[in-house]
Amino acid sequence: MRTKKHRDVHHLSPGLNVLFNIIAGGFALLCVFPFIFVIIISLTSEASLNKNGYAFWPEEWSFAAYEYIFKAGDQLLRSYGVTIMITIVGTLISLIVIALYAYAISRKNFTYRNFFSFIAFFTMLFNGGLVPTYMVVTQVLHLKDTVWALILPLIMNAFYVLILRTFYNTTVPDAIIESAKIDGAGELRAFFTIVLPISLPGIATIGLFATLGFWNDWFNALLYIDNPALVPLQSMLMRIENSMQFLLSNAQLSSSGQSLELLRTLPQEATRMALVVLATVPIACAYPFFQRYFVQGLTIGAVKE
Amino acid sequence: MQTIKNILRNINQNRIFLIMVLPGALWFLFFSYLPMFGTVIAFKDYRFSRDGFLASLQQSEWVGFKNFEYLFSTNDAYVITRNTIVYNVVFIVLGLIFAVGMAIILSEIVNKRLAKVYQTGMFLPYFLSWVIVGYFTFSFLSVDKGVMNQLLTWMGKDPVSWYADTTYWPYILVFLNMWKGIGYSSVVYLAAIVGIDKTYYEAAMIDGANKWQQIRNITLPFITPLITILTLLAIGRIFYADFGLFYQIPRDSGPLYAVTNVIDTYVYRGLKATGEISMSTAAGLYQSLVGFVLVMTSNWVVRKFNKDNALF
Amino acid sequence: MAKAKKWLMMTFCLVMVASLVLTGCGGNKNEAGSGADAGTPEKPVELVWYTIGTPQKDVDKVMEKVSEYTKEKIGVTIKMKMFDWGDYNQKMGVIAASGEPYDIAFTCSWAFDYVTNAKKGAFYDLTELVDKYGQGIKDALHPSFLEGAKIDGKLYAIPVNKELPAQKVFRYNKTLVDKYKLDVNSVKTLEDLEPLLAAVKKGESGVYPLSAGKDFKFDLPMDLVNENLPLGVRLDDKGDLKLQNLFEQPEVTKHLDTMFKYYKAGYLKQDAATATTGDEQKTGKWLVDMPQTQPFADTMWTDSYGYGIESHPAEDPYVYNWSVTGSMMGVSANSKYPEKAMQFLNLLNTDKYLRNLVNNGIEGEHFKRLAEDRIEYLPAKQEGYDMPQFTLGNFFILDKLPTDPDNKWDEFKKFNDAAKNAPLLGFNFDGSSLKTEIAALQNVREEFYPSIFTGSVDPKVYVPRMMEKLKAAGLDKVQAEMQTQLDAWKASKK
Repeated sequence: MRTKKHRDVHHLSPGLNVLFNIIAGGFALLCVFPFIFVIIISLTSEASLNKNGYAFWPEEWSFAAYEYIFKAGDQLLRSYGVTIMITIVGTLISLIVIALYAYAISRKNFTYRNFFSFIAFFTMLFNGGLVPTYMVVTQVLHLKDTVWALILPLIMNAFYVLILRTFYNTTVPDAIIESAKIDGAGELRAFFTIVLPISLPGIATIGLFATLGFWNDWFNALLYIDNPALVPLQSMLMRIENSMQFLLSNAQLSSSGQSLELLRTLPQEATRMALVVLATVPIACAYPFFQRYFVQGLTIGAVKE
Repeated sequence: MQTIKNILRNINQNRIFLIMVLPGALWFLFFSYLPMFGTVIAFKDYRFSRDGFLASLQQSEWVGFKNFEYLFSTNDAYVITRNTIVYNVVFIVLGLIFAVGMAIILSEIVNKRLAKVYQTGMFLPYFLSWVIVGYFTFSFLSVDKGVMNQLLTWMGKDPVSWYADTTYWPYILVFLNMWKGIGYSSVVYLAAIVGIDKTYYEAAMIDGANKWQQIRNITLPFITPLITILTLLAIGRIFYADFGLFYQIPRDSGPLYAVTNVIDTYVYRGLKATGEISMSTAAGLYQSLVGFVLVMTSNWVVRKFNKDNALF
Repeated sequence: MAKAKKWLMMTFCLVMVASLVLTGCGGNKNEAGSGADAGTPEKPVELVWYTIGTPQKDVDKVMEKVSEYTKEKIGVTIKMKMFDWGDYNQKMGVIAASGEPYDIAFTCSWAFDYVTNAKKGAFYDLTELVDKYGQGIKDALHPSFLEGAKIDGKLYAIPVNKELPAQKVFRYNKTLVDKYKLDVNSVKTLEDLEPLLAAVKKGESGVYPLSAGKDFKFDLPMDLVNENLPLGVRLDDKGDLKLQNLFEQPEVTKHLDTMFKYYKAGYLKQDAATATTGDEQKTGKWLVDMPQTQPFADTMWTDSYGYGIESHPAEDPYVYNWSVTGSMMGVSANSKYPEKAMQFLNLLNTDKYLRNLVNNGIEGEHFKRLAEDRIEYLPAKQEGYDMPQFTLGNFFILDKLPTDPDNKWDEFKKFNDAAKNAPLLGFNFDGSSLKTEIAALQNVREEFYPSIFTGSVDPKVYVPRMMEKLKAAGLDKVQAEMQTQLDAWKASKK
């Protein structure tokens, strides 16, 4: 019933619809293609990779890469656990903090809105740099080797705050809030009962970004985590990737006798691709969850009813 | 006395908002503003002291702007500044057009399920690191085994030495940047478009507006504030280049530096042997300052036109 | 509603207080302890030891064993933390810059750079401590090691006792050598390779006989002050230590021309200037390359590639600063127990039991003893304690593996004793007043070296072009400063 109505609303001519489908579908294909390639390489035997390089239809298929990873076993599962945990907890905290902050600075009757907008914006450009940040996190906040070192540094993000502020400004007319307040609701209640439902697509967007941010983060783990039980998935992946690059591109090391011994211990190409697959598939599956909130129809009228 | 009273009254009036911003503001205080004191490193010859970081900061010698000099000292300075700015301007403009365009297309496609599938697909490149993307570009552009050269030979043309020839790189880099970023950035616009009150479109259709008119008169004006903000923020990062894109994708190939060397890669190459944190901090400060000036100016211009669309 | 507000207000206050407390905590720093008399078998002190390598899961278990032993011997326990290869530089850089306390760290010329960090003050000056507690080290190490590790006459880290000099070899893929009956003994210089390369190129399709990547260098006739700058002293220098430009040496010019010729002839792969080495070694599609050697290298290479390898010297072995500082252990300037750390390093480098424990793990679990100085690894070693032995201390007291020859360490000793000292051994350039120039020069180097050294571009055109850019970036200024420092060093040596 509902979808039918939307079709009416947009009323796209069939020709244009086909064209749009071709553009969007074509581009999507272009985007998916390397990923499929990654999957294929992860399933290629190391011998054929060495011999032929990347191929769409490898000479020899192999599950060796996945076997290798799962044999190493518990580290992978633990890393999955850490990643999922910090992603969920982090996103929730992050959404609350950001949504509140953005709402306050979106309200015209907040005297200090420009001040707090500026405070947020300024951090997008200027930062203290690596070492001072490290100092604060480890010696002022004492977060080293705790799971909070993976969560807190990513909680707030001025970019998201400013996007969300714009969402509030454009989708929520002041008039509704005012009328709600006349009905006796405070700012907080107006926020939860009116603003949040209307700006759900915006919140979902920020939620998605925050989720991806937590899921993909590896740098905080690099800096603050030594305990293998707290190493998230991407960090594990990046560690391997970085070490590979380091050993291969370090002139002095690679020309010496030692490098061989070292390269031997590194995972092969197929294994690295398999790790990419394992790190990406779960989060790509989470994507449709956020898409649910990109529904048209959450209009002001709907809220008023 | 009066002013203090005023301030207190203001605070009291705004207390609910102040409580709302408090957690975020505390975060900014600890994770952004407290470390910002470290920026003085940029003006010092940083040496380690036995008594820890603060003592090191204190005891290191002031050197004025010496740590900034390497960013301006040679001919390369011109090349890296030009490359960084030009690429970023192109990224901002094209990125905007494609992201908004794609968002509109996705919102218009009749079969919503298909649209969602497309959207998910477009997101995948975001998950691949530049290193991995670099492997793929290499499998395309490698001189002897690459797909492109095999194609060229098959068509009877001469193979191209891709990693030594600057001609194509501006296009390759722009293409890859778009390819990787569109899925991500179109989401914001899509979410905004989805939030537009349907009654506007209904009214427009009753007035007989065609699709193009609807986009121009409803969709675009509605997302203009968002476009403005995102562009302003992008302008702030105009002196920052995406290191992975400019370093990993061209495989750090020397002959390509003329079109691939940007501030970030220059700083990396210059300091990778010595690891001077004073000089890297100086570079960061320089990049931020330029961005800051540019944003403030653009913001001022935006304010002239429409106060509501400005950052602050 | 009012309740909610109050509740929020409370949270606000709590957060406020909590943050104040936190800030306060950060203020009081670790109280400095006097390290000299602390640390007895009854009350041992803990030393934190950072080292490079992929973290191994049995490290804690082995270190427990190590601690049991060192507690008795010198009153310390050991906590080892490993950072993966690609992370080590960054992590140690941040740790050193932030002054976070630790005791011992791996340092060398290619990760957590020894010279730069020592000059910035990251390490404790060990000169006196070595005399006091490090007699064993002094006896065990070849004197050139300590000579080359000194910076302005002071020692900041203990080198690992391993192969001392560096020597480039022509390394051949024996399969192809035998197939084409190539006379590898006739090859003394890069130029002599030509007939061999030609034969293989003609006979094998898809093989680029000369294997080289972006870091490729042939044998250089100079001892460079800094690996990244083309300035140095000729190896046949007679003692006047005059700096010269690498690209003005006749041998280099000749070799560069040769490389360009080889490149044009298709002996190198076309993308050599951006390639990483090692790919063709996996497939065997190569004839010759030029790595550094060490005793028994041929056997080691043959084992890991799975096909025959033989190598012949391309130059004489010389002891360089960078070969000496290839693997070292430093003590942090912030260490509370520098003396204990020195005692531990001495023990590690002289005590057979301890050194082997650190290297091989626990007997019965990670390895099985076959004879007095011969062991065999068990599967658990590779799964849980696969350590890079060259980063962990003295080679010469290590147990041998079943495949090792009996005279393994004797050969290493012979190799070390036969080497000559390079003219600049012990000289370290202090570039702190020329950081601007050096950063710019690095960029020029990165731009040109790979293409020029792999012969991908015509040296007659590109070497002058590079020189021009180097000069514009301040090469002459750096050279003048280097020469001044070098002269001062020369004077101090007499």
